[in-house]
Amino acid sequence: MHAITKYNPENTNEFIVRELRIPRMIAAIVAGGGLSIAGMLMQTLFNNPLAGPYVLGINSGSSLFVALATLSGLTFFTEEMGIISAALLGALCFGTIILGFSFFIQSSVSLLLIGLMVGGFSSSFISVLETYASAEELKSLTLWSMGSLQHLELDELRHLLIVFAIGLIGLSILIKPLNAMILGEKSAENLGVNVFQFRLLCITVTAIFTGLITAYCGPIAFVGLAVPNITKLLFRTQSHATLILANFAIGAVFLLLVDSFIQICEPWIILPLNAVTSIIGAPIIIIIVLKRIK
Amino acid sequence: MIHFSKLIIGYKSALFTIENLSLQAGKLYALIGSNGSGKSTFLATINGETAPISGKISIKDKLFTAIPKQEKSRLIANVSSKFEGIEYLTVHDYVSLGRHPYTNFIGKLSPEDHVIIEQSIAKLNISELSLKATRYISDGERQMASIARALAQETPIILLDEPTAFLDYGNRIRLIRLLKQIADEENKCILFSCHELELCLEEQLEILLIDKSKKSLNLLSNNLSKKEILEIGF
Repeated sequence: MHAITKYNPENTNEFIVRELRIPRMIAAIVAGGGLSIAGMLMQTLFNNPLAGPYVLGINSGSSLFVALATLSGLTFFTEEMGIISAALLGALCFGTIILGFSFFIQSSVSLLLIGLMVGGFSSSFISVLETYASAEELKSLTLWSMGSLQHLELDELRHLLIVFAIGLIGLSILIKPLNAMILGEKSAENLGVNVFQFRLLCITVTAIFTGLITAYCGPIAFVGLAVPNITKLLFRTQSHATLILANFAIGAVFLLLVDSFIQICEPWIILPLNAVTSIIGAPIIIIIVLKRIK
Repeated sequence: MIHFSKLIIGYKSALFTIENLSLQAGKLYALIGSNGSGKSTFLATINGETAPISGKISIKDKLFTAIPKQEKSRLIANVSSKFEGIEYLTVHDYVSLGRHPYTNFIGKLSPEDHVIIEQSIAKLNISELSLKATRYISDGERQMASIARALAQETPIILLDEPTAFLDYGNRIRLIRLLKQIADEENKCILFSCHELELCLEEQLEILLIDKSKKSLNLLSNNLSKKEILEIGF
């Protein structure tokens, strides 16, 4: 507490809390909450409980653009703002591609397959790029792709929160149409929703959250897929105002717990964030799929 | 309430024409025609989902194409026969969505909205279903919930696409009488498509028949026999 109110840089404990612990906690809260909300948006937009920013390849868009930016050697792109813009742009590009495909594809399973293909395409592309990277660049890119909450520094926190707040403003406009969209496009249109505008805004907000979090923390898998499903199961509602708050809270707590677990294990084994979320998230998804088949 | 003039209904190719027809408030219209004659396309055209090939539709003397989407949602409510229910969406919350065109930007319901929702649920006699999920009620109950939602939308026009399709005989009669009562008491113009010619004749509804050979839609005059109607439409 003292580290926040009367910060004294000379004190080592206070330094650790302020410079390391607090940014890491905030990163966990923003990443967990933001990805869960992004997942919920994708699930309502595509009317598919298995949709999420990771499976639909929106994360991969960010990864690809960040890889291009870091390896291109352009000085603008190596700066912090450059990485964020690349990640946001990549997420928006790939989100729009998926949205475009969704106009032609009726089956929700096909859409997920296209998302996976897009993801596969960009990861192969990244591997090709990596062969041209220097050892230094390769290491930083590999570490980044494992996902981590520790890269965030105190000065960067402000930028993260500002962009996150912009996403939240967009999100607040989406609450009302989201509630109508669960009835399907035609019924939503009949209730006065401008479906085209809604889709564009929905994909933009998802891209902001996903791109921002991917830029700072790397591509984090499964959180955006598993948490919205758990939230719906717990809250048993289709009211998106409630779902947004609940997703944020559960997503944040989930990632804080995962991160605490990683920190506890640190003396013995260094666990990449992405590995832990996948180990927990993948079985949850399998359970959901099995339940739906029944 | 709704006026059609020289309207050609169709999707790519013409299905049928309406020379000159007015639908009035306070009446229940049954749309009857053989399979593929264009009943659903006609409803989709009034709904704004499909554009007519040519001709004019006007609602309350306003040209249809000039009415903005937001205003349309306060004029026309649509009851789809394809609603299969949604997990965790209760009947009450489903009916509440009917208030969507009137709520503020985050969709908060006012006390008046709540009164209208409760009234709509009560009118359809589904108060005991209020807290049940729309996914786990019967087809008939879901149909009632959909009509309650359309009532909550407080529109002068209600369109229903084959509302009797999944109902048993008793429920069909009850539904048609209920719709007639709503049209009468609330002075609404209600249009529904169906295949129950006998039932519609018995209940003395206004019948819109799609003429198979002339490819046109006309309001039937009362003195036609069932045999004559069958010859025209089927």
